[in-house]
Amino acid sequence: MRVEYINPFVESAYNVLKEVLNCQVSRGELYLKSTSTPVLGVAALVGLAGDVEGRILFDMSKETAIKVASVMNGEELKELDDLAKATITELANMITAQAVTKLHDLGFKFDLTPPAIFTGDNMEVTTAEVEALIVPMVIPYGKVEINVAIRERL
Amino acid sequence: MSNTIEKTVLMDQETIPVKQIKQDFKMVTFSLGGKDYGIDIMKVKEIAKFSQFTYVPNTPPFVRGVYNLRGEIISIIDLRIFFHLPVEKRKDGVENGLILRLEDYIIGVIVDSIDKVVGIASEDIQPPHPIFGDINVKYISGVVEYNGTLYLILDVEKLFGKEQAVQKAHPLEALELSLAEKPSIGVTPKESVAVGQTEKDFIRETLKTFKSFHVTPVNEKWLDVRFEQWRAERGKQGRDLQIKSVDEADEFLRTFYSSYTDTLWPDEFAASFLELIKDFSGKVFSIWNPGCGKGYETYSVTALFLKQIPDAVLKVWAMDNDLLSISTAPNLVLPSENLPSYILPYTVKGKQGIGITSQLKDRIFFEYHDVLHVNVVPECDLILARDLVSFLSPADQAKILEEFYDKLKPNGILILGNNEEPIETTKWVRISNKNFSAYKKNIE
Repeated sequence: MRVEYINPFVESAYNVLKEVLNCQVSRGELYLKSTSTPVLGVAALVGLAGDVEGRILFDMSKETAIKVASVMNGEELKELDDLAKATITELANMITAQAVTKLHDLGFKFDLTPPAIFTGDNMEVTTAEVEALIVPMVIPYGKVEINVAIRERL
Repeated sequence: MSNTIEKTVLMDQETIPVKQIKQDFKMVTFSLGGKDYGIDIMKVKEIAKFSQFTYVPNTPPFVRGVYNLRGEIISIIDLRIFFHLPVEKRKDGVENGLILRLEDYIIGVIVDSIDKVVGIASEDIQPPHPIFGDINVKYISGVVEYNGTLYLILDVEKLFGKEQAVQKAHPLEALELSLAEKPSIGVTPKESVAVGQTEKDFIRETLKTFKSFHVTPVNEKWLDVRFEQWRAERGKQGRDLQIKSVDEADEFLRTFYSSYTDTLWPDEFAASFLELIKDFSGKVFSIWNPGCGKGYETYSVTALFLKQIPDAVLKVWAMDNDLLSISTAPNLVLPSENLPSYILPYTVKGKQGIGITSQLKDRIFFEYHDVLHVNVVPECDLILARDLVSFLSPADQAKILEEFYDKLKPNGILILGNNEEPIETTKWVRISNKNFSAYKKNIE
């Protein structure tokens, strides 16, 4: 993945999480992965198209997702209902949008698809032919893994 | 085939006449540590009982001494000690043994007890299985069954025979040398080639551990040369050969690294690169630079390529799996002095120092990428991968070289590290000059 893309995603993930959750956020070590990645439980996916192609996946456990949704809504949610899912979708949208805005300023142009959310146990995601950059973000409610797989169009 | 073998064995047991027709290999059988062995009877001069050895000082423990065989002095080896098997002490001091007639000399061996002479069909001999425990499998020439007992046939020429013609010296001396080379024996022989090999193997291991540097045909020639230098250097300093830390591994690898991987190429070095690419023609070019580090060599190559072919439509894929290095590459700040002439048209003064213009930068994709993952690059005119392959595991080395071959255009050039070469040399044609180890595809 191009180096220029990395920072906008890391920065916007950090900024957005800190802002909406109003808590301590720390970033884990970045790494690359090409094999299929297990999904922790709740995954929001945003597709990219344009000069580049690929997708960004926001991955967290169900418990983390419920807690994050509770904080963002300002009320205690008990399960991953429609409201909780919509909240996680919105979080994904905010982070991606901010990253894409930064990239647009740098001269990279691409479009986003509306986020889709996947939930379930024992899921994996594989993106053939693209390796994924994993950005682990640690918040008090658990871990959010941002899984970015983008490539240039040849 | 297995059917006929079974049949022969059956016939051996039931009908004696058939067996006698079949047998064409005779061996003397004996036991060692409770197991049965055989030696080709053609190698056995006689069966003997040894009673009075003359002890010879300063020999390996398995040499029991010398023996006077009717006026001829022969040396006596205890096979049980030789193979680290338990030795039964005999009260009367008389040992069972065989006198072997080898190609060049006669030698006596001590065994537990001599059994008998057995005739077998040589086609019944089966190759040894590699997991035989007590005795190193390379000294066993085969396994054969006779009357329900399995016999391991020892290859005495390999055991005691002279390995090199150089050792035409006195039989005993030659014997000691050839024995000293057997890895299973815990003796400290004089300085010899075999000892160097052990040290070298040790260095291979430590390079792997400390620097993940894998010695394979890619860099073996360098290692051989470097090892001799190292031995001399360390000898002078009075230090031993072993590498005990990352620092020492770095010191060992000092001569491995190619020139100017972490700085812009100076003009005279650049000239020899231009020499290398002078035959390129066309308009659209792709360059792949895996392991580009901070991007110095990528900028050098890109600028030089444009100097050679000014109107080229050039794209460069530069990758590294070190996030810190690759992150600095797109916004590299150059030193303000001594810049090579070819880079000057592409430099611009910025706030932080001298940077590189977008005219050059826009042709390069710097990617954070692991070269062992899927490489999405087009067919390339030039692949520049200096000092990369050696730091991958042997299997990955073969894989990546294969991928280089696939991704290279028919007249494309592969540049490896100065001390590296491709494994499958037949697939490549060497076109190196004094500064670059470069290859083209061998197209028949």
